[in-house]
Amino acid sequence: MASALEGLRVIDLTVWFQGPVAAQHLADFGAEVIKVERPKGGDQGRGVRSIKALPVGDWNQYFLVINRNKKSMALDLKTEAGREIMYRLVERSDVFLSNLGAENLEAWRLTWEKLSAINPKLIYATTTGYGPYATTVKPSFDMTVQALTGLMSRLGEPGEPPIYLGMGSGDAYGGLLAALAILVALWHRNTTGAGQRVDASLYGAQLFLAAPTLQAWLATRDPRYAAQQSRAAARNPLWNTYRAEDQWLMLCVPNRDDAFAALAGSLDPADAGVGGDARFATAAARREHARELVAALDAAIARRTAGEWMARWTPLADRHVAASPVATLADLARDAGAWANDYLMETHCEEVNRSVTVRGMPVGLSRTPGTIRGLGPELGQDTEMILFEMLGYDWDEIGALKAKGAIP
Amino acid sequence: MSRALAGIRVVDLTIETWGGIGAALLGDFGAEVIRVDALGPSPAVGPEDERAPGTWNAHAALAQRNKRSLAVDLASTAGRELVQALVGKADVVITDRARADLLRLGLDHAALCARKPDLIYARGSGFGPQGPDADLPAIDELAAARTGMMPILPQPGRPPVFPGHGQMYTAVMLAFGILAALHHRAKTGEGQEVDASLLGGNMYGASLDLQAYLAIGGERMLRPISRLDAGNPMSGTMYMSADGPWVTLTMPDTDRWWPVFAPLVELAVDDPRFDTHDKRCGANRLEMMQVLEAAFRRAPAAHWRAMFQEHQLSADIIESYDFPAADPQVYRNRYFVEIDDPSFGPRTSLGFPIFMSGTPARLDGAAPARGQHGAAILHDLLGLSEDAITALRDAGTIAG
Repeated sequence: MASALEGLRVIDLTVWFQGPVAAQHLADFGAEVIKVERPKGGDQGRGVRSIKALPVGDWNQYFLVINRNKKSMALDLKTEAGREIMYRLVERSDVFLSNLGAENLEAWRLTWEKLSAINPKLIYATTTGYGPYATTVKPSFDMTVQALTGLMSRLGEPGEPPIYLGMGSGDAYGGLLAALAILVALWHRNTTGAGQRVDASLYGAQLFLAAPTLQAWLATRDPRYAAQQSRAAARNPLWNTYRAEDQWLMLCVPNRDDAFAALAGSLDPADAGVGGDARFATAAARREHARELVAALDAAIARRTAGEWMARWTPLADRHVAASPVATLADLARDAGAWANDYLMETHCEEVNRSVTVRGMPVGLSRTPGTIRGLGPELGQDTEMILFEMLGYDWDEIGALKAKGAIP
Repeated sequence: MSRALAGIRVVDLTIETWGGIGAALLGDFGAEVIRVDALGPSPAVGPEDERAPGTWNAHAALAQRNKRSLAVDLASTAGRELVQALVGKADVVITDRARADLLRLGLDHAALCARKPDLIYARGSGFGPQGPDADLPAIDELAAARTGMMPILPQPGRPPVFPGHGQMYTAVMLAFGILAALHHRAKTGEGQEVDASLLGGNMYGASLDLQAYLAIGGERMLRPISRLDAGNPMSGTMYMSADGPWVTLTMPDTDRWWPVFAPLVELAVDDPRFDTHDKRCGANRLEMMQVLEAAFRRAPAAHWRAMFQEHQLSADIIESYDFPAADPQVYRNRYFVEIDDPSFGPRTSLGFPIFMSGTPARLDGAAPARGQHGAAILHDLLGLSEDAITALRDAGTIAG
């Protein structure tokens, strides 16, 4: 099976999540990704031991999944000899990707100016906290940057604490945008021969992530796009969360008379009045009396289980009634569609010598699908082979590099 | 200034904002994007447009920028034939329409591949092309509800939360998949189908929570966790300040930060309850959270902002949208851009989340009026004469 990005070589000098996941997308589609790590401890992501106060278990899923399909090379970039190896690698690579601080790249002489002088065709990619023209210089993490965007303070019921979108949600987006930027830059290089510098930042990514409400807020400055809104006063009560007898449902019905009639007709006889109530007779009336309509639907929907409602509503799809139970992660892990589309996949984990379930491919390519050829590498496992086969060092030179501390 | 994707032609058959953004990401870097605006009512299934009549369409400004528009009656054979002929001259088709509609309109993969064998055909859907839900409507709320995050975003006992951002992952995935497919086509001459879905997008956005659950299992990740029951009181946590705004801390390596942080919250660095990482994140984490909860309530947000700034801590205030709107960095990086709308004058819009030094994203054109470029497109790409175009207009096959 061919891979879309076969023949591309990427130097992946990244740690934690935003940078590694960018390279993971390229590796999934066949790029050769060489993860360069410090000899002592490697990527800090290798040290993750607990998530949400739970021990991570017997395999470090945090590191192993986002570093799948990669090679690992241990290199001490604090040494002159280590940097010489890096320069030789840069000569033979298409992409250099880093999320280390600018001061590190400066100190280790791995700046854009330096590396593009070595390889003018190089794509020099960074993932940062605040972007190439940032005035903020302090360390950046996903949640502290998400806090600045305004995304968090608009979620949840009024008066509740702000809500973070989920662990690494912004990192994931920055990583994806960086991967896109790299492919765009490579396309340009393949047509013109020119390399360039690209960047995706947590701040920029998360502002774009907020588009569904932020773009509307920029246009109107209407606080309802920026502040917490109660489900009890949903602007369209038919497009809202409702609690059935046993669990929550997400109901998605457009505020149109025909669709409302279909929904109202599905309610129990005790609630038959909802459909004929003058307060709910038109779209405008339903909006005006949103609180009353939410309350009426709350009472009606609480009478039956989510399964009963889904059985009633599924046949009404052609009348614009759509709904879904609000699933848990356990439900998702069993979701037939998630498996059928390779959003979830099984793969062998060498660390525990068994098959494990991992996040799969969020993009399908019919002819060149992404593949998992192996989970994250052991620290430095490919160092000597890369030096010998790719970079042309002989075994005596490799011995000398060890003696100098450039490699472990 | 050269454009990175110059020479790539995209036919945009999207109807939802997120699908339109997927195509706009290509146009921002110089691909030629021809938007096919179908005449008649839109078959979009997302939540309705809530704009007041006669106001600026901000979402269209974002999703349709850098595109040219051809307005065509897809219900007519002549209209469909025009679109198929256009696809014959294109590299990429992108759509988020339902499969049944595409089949009915003769705009499905098989039909268009017959016109252009090396076509890249990208489709965004609700739940992906395989499996039992392949034909459910592409509604972000439905996909988010299936992802497992809605119940655990809020505090315990509160209603599930629809975050609304899942579709934005999907938009970028479509663009990424198209670029990967273009790279493959450049090497081999082969086109292919690209797919991304709202379910896949929402799942990808939930990467770390989802992967942790898959590996660890158990009950803790299925229900909301109180903010005062975090694994690390100094990382991924939030506390209210005296005047209302919340602070948030991300200092996972507490040993590194503790000597600076402890005095700020009036704790002794050698306080025996909290003097090691293991005590802070293990046996005494709940007590520490209560202590921090009280400490942060003793001073207003401005005090904490100044402290975080002065000591360069990885911590910040949880702001509202007015914060980035007033932040010069946001404009300097072009994350927000000022645009001059032909009808509404100066406006602020989301800009470009990707920086490129050599071929930066550009705003070459505002979102087009429906059918604005129809005649030019038909003339330039299909060689239609002015008379032929007039005839199509008179017959109602095209508009604008």
